Amino acid sequence: MEKALSKIVEVTSDPYAYVAGLKDRTQKKIIGCFPMYVPEEIVHAAGLIPVVIWRGNESVTWGHAHVPAYDCGITRSFVDDAVRGKLSFMDGMVFHVRQCLQVGEFPLIMERNVKPAYQKILYLPPIYKGDSIKSFLLGDLESFKGSLEDFTGKKISDDNLKESIEIYNENRSLLERVYEIRREKPEILRAREVMQIVWSSMLMLKEDHNELLRELINGMEKKSVEPKKDRIKVIPVGCLCQTLQFDILDIIEDLGMIIPDDDLYVGSRYFANKVNPNGDPIEALADRYLVKTPLCPTKGVWDIDWGVEVIKQMKENDAKGIISIRVKYCPPHTCYYPDFKSKMVEEGVPEVMIEMEHEIISLEGVKTRLQSFVETIGGV
Amino acid sequence: MGVEYKVNRLRATGNIRPLVDKHWGDLRAAKERGEKVAWASGPSFMFPYSMGMKCHFMAGYASYAGGIGAADELLRLAETTGDLPETCSYHRLHMGLVEAIKKGVPIKEQAILPLPDLLIAGRYCTEQSHYSESFYRRMGLRIAPLELPFVFNKEDRPRIREFVYRQIVENVIPNLEDVCEKPFDYDRLSEILSVLKKTATLRNECWKFLATKPATWTLWDYAVSMAPVIYMMGDPAGIPFYEDLLKELKERHEKGIPALAPEGEKYRIYWDGWIPWAFLGKFMRKFTPHGAVCLCGRYPWEMFPHPELIDPEHPLDTVVDWVYGEETGLACHMAPKGSIEMIGELIEEYSIDGLVMFSSKSCRMWNQSHLDQIDALDKKYGIPGVVIEADMIDPEMVQDSQIDTRLQALFETIDGRRRR
Ligand code: SF4
Ligand code: SF4
Repeated sequence: MEKALSKIVEVTSDPYAYVAGLKDRTQKKIIGCFPMYVPEEIVHAAGLIPVVIWRGNESVTWGHAHVPAYDCGITRSFVDDAVRGKLSFMDGMVFHVRQCLQVGEFPLIMERNVKPAYQKILYLPPIYKGDSIKSFLLGDLESFKGSLEDFTGKKISDDNLKESIEIYNENRSLLERVYEIRREKPEILRAREVMQIVWSSMLMLKEDHNELLRELINGMEKKSVEPKKDRIKVIPVGCLCQTLQFDILDIIEDLGMIIPDDDLYVGSRYFANKVNPNGDPIEALADRYLVKTPLCPTKGVWDIDWGVEVIKQMKENDAKGIISIRVKYCPPHTCYYPDFKSKMVEEGVPEVMIEMEHEIISLEGVKTRLQSFVETIGGV
Repeated sequence: MGVEYKVNRLRATGNIRPLVDKHWGDLRAAKERGEKVAWASGPSFMFPYSMGMKCHFMAGYASYAGGIGAADELLRLAETTGDLPETCSYHRLHMGLVEAIKKGVPIKEQAILPLPDLLIAGRYCTEQSHYSESFYRRMGLRIAPLELPFVFNKEDRPRIREFVYRQIVENVIPNLEDVCEKPFDYDRLSEILSVLKKTATLRNECWKFLATKPATWTLWDYAVSMAPVIYMMGDPAGIPFYEDLLKELKERHEKGIPALAPEGEKYRIYWDGWIPWAFLGKFMRKFTPHGAVCLCGRYPWEMFPHPELIDPEHPLDTVVDWVYGEETGLACHMAPKGSIEMIGELIEEYSIDGLVMFSSKSCRMWNQSHLDQIDALDKKYGIPGVVIEADMIDPEMVQDSQIDTRLQALFETIDGRRRR
């Protein structure tokens, strides 16, 4: 378990070096997929390595010559990394431009300043009623597949796709198992380690990650931990597209709270819902995208309430409160938040919102908010 | 001593206010008259009009509320419901409106609208779906959604066009038929488009006087005159309005009266993004003393810029092609790459000296890749540009010093290049 964990820490401590090394080692091309919904399986089936684009931990410098300071953290950090040449190991980039307006910033900026050998735009539609939605989505995925075939000069067969789907589904099952064990023994991993485990899945070749997860799970199953009864269970929610500063997760734990489960993108949302391994693989990928839960405010779903879903998750985990992690300048989450908050108030569920900025100047404010939150839900 | 510039005000544009007030007044009174009401976002309001419904239009209402000075109180009301200042101000404005309706909060009477029987949730800007969803959650409104993607690559246009067309037929029209309990009125849509064709043709004649040197009128004059080609679409009152405006512009031109006294403008400016509805006077005062006039922009050029393509015989195709037609479709100019082409054409047609990219801190639809657009256009046309950060309706987001400094820098750069 420790060996697997230290590999995960190594991968996520310097994702730039890791992915560049991966390219050297495998001699395969790297395709950066901007979070959250690019179907990586299609890239994988093309014999390329998909990696999910991440938010770096440096302050934005050159990037501000391209995007305003009031774009979200990952938007600014990614542009900054790209124009500074820190992502030169990426041979291609994929952007789902209907996720939010900020993703629309990238195509022109990359085309002019970074010039990746391959760039693809996806227009995955919101989950509205009607056949036109699914047929457009299928067309979009077919066009994605076709563009990758043009790029590699190789056809992607259904068998290729099914093989990739199987590998990805296995990764989802393994991550689910990690979460299951954490639910049983929440003290087994630190919250930052759980986030690193999911994040490493976004960076590594899925086959390698599966192997690592098997080793990790084996260790986790064997390890017994002393449950700490006085810990208050909380569920963090949100943080779309990006990792949360690990220090914030540490503060949550240091204040006597513990996270048995989450509704974070670099968390349970990433591996939720498997792809049907039978039938037409492109259709199966489309069907996975069209699943409405876990609810995502970028997908145009209004007949399911995010607040209700999260309260359900909280109760299932016997948790006492919700910590919303709202990325500063993330419109989908920000627009939803007032109604989410109202639902929490209506249902009498303790909730606090932490605003996550890319450039954190001081964590004191976060700590104070969390401190009073833990006091209200019965902590020390 | 420097030239003292002054705006020569137009008489004809003053006639718009009663027309606009009537439009919103009719909408406010619709329920009392037993008429059905819709609210719409994105280019979708002509569908309820075709059914004889009165219809609000998201951006149109925001401009109206900004123009009548009601925006600030609605925005402050939205704060009480937890809407955060970084949220799109049009979204917040509407959340304030919903709160005022729900709780009966007294606000400026003309700003109150009846709740709709149907919300046509055009998702042109992705933010628009958040606004519709909030309505659903707060008021349980019935929604007919319509995804309207921008076209980032021209080769994607045909399949996006087909997708949008299908959604209208599959989702928007049946919802309207259901709410209105009658079949969709294609004939009425054709009539609306016939009126629009005449109105927009006259409007294009007026545009020619923005291209004159010196300019005969300004973008701000046009901005306040846009209602007949947007939400007043199909109202014949727009035709005499533009006839009168055209007559005045011709007279001015013949007499050699420029938009800016005494002798016309020193700088001809392209304006990108929304119009700052609540602050038109303020912005005018920032440009005029420098002898600068704004003459054209992407947003004001959205409203059927090619009336010759309006074909009332094929109403649905006309509407869809307005947004997704080959070459001229609006959605092709919304993505940053396509917008460079369109701005380039405007630079040439209106002999532009500099670009002002109006960046609303809470609206990322118009500010996508602004800095790269400026760079690309400068390289191609040798025209400098600046980004100014403000808001269309929220006074708390407008900081004079930043705007003044950047405009000053733009004018100095133009001067510097002229001296070369
Ligand atoms: S964090 Fe929010 S705003 Fe930023 S890219 Fe993701 S969805 Fe868009
Ligand atoms: S973000 Fe801009 S374009 Fe989108 S709804 Fe708001 S004001 Fe309109």
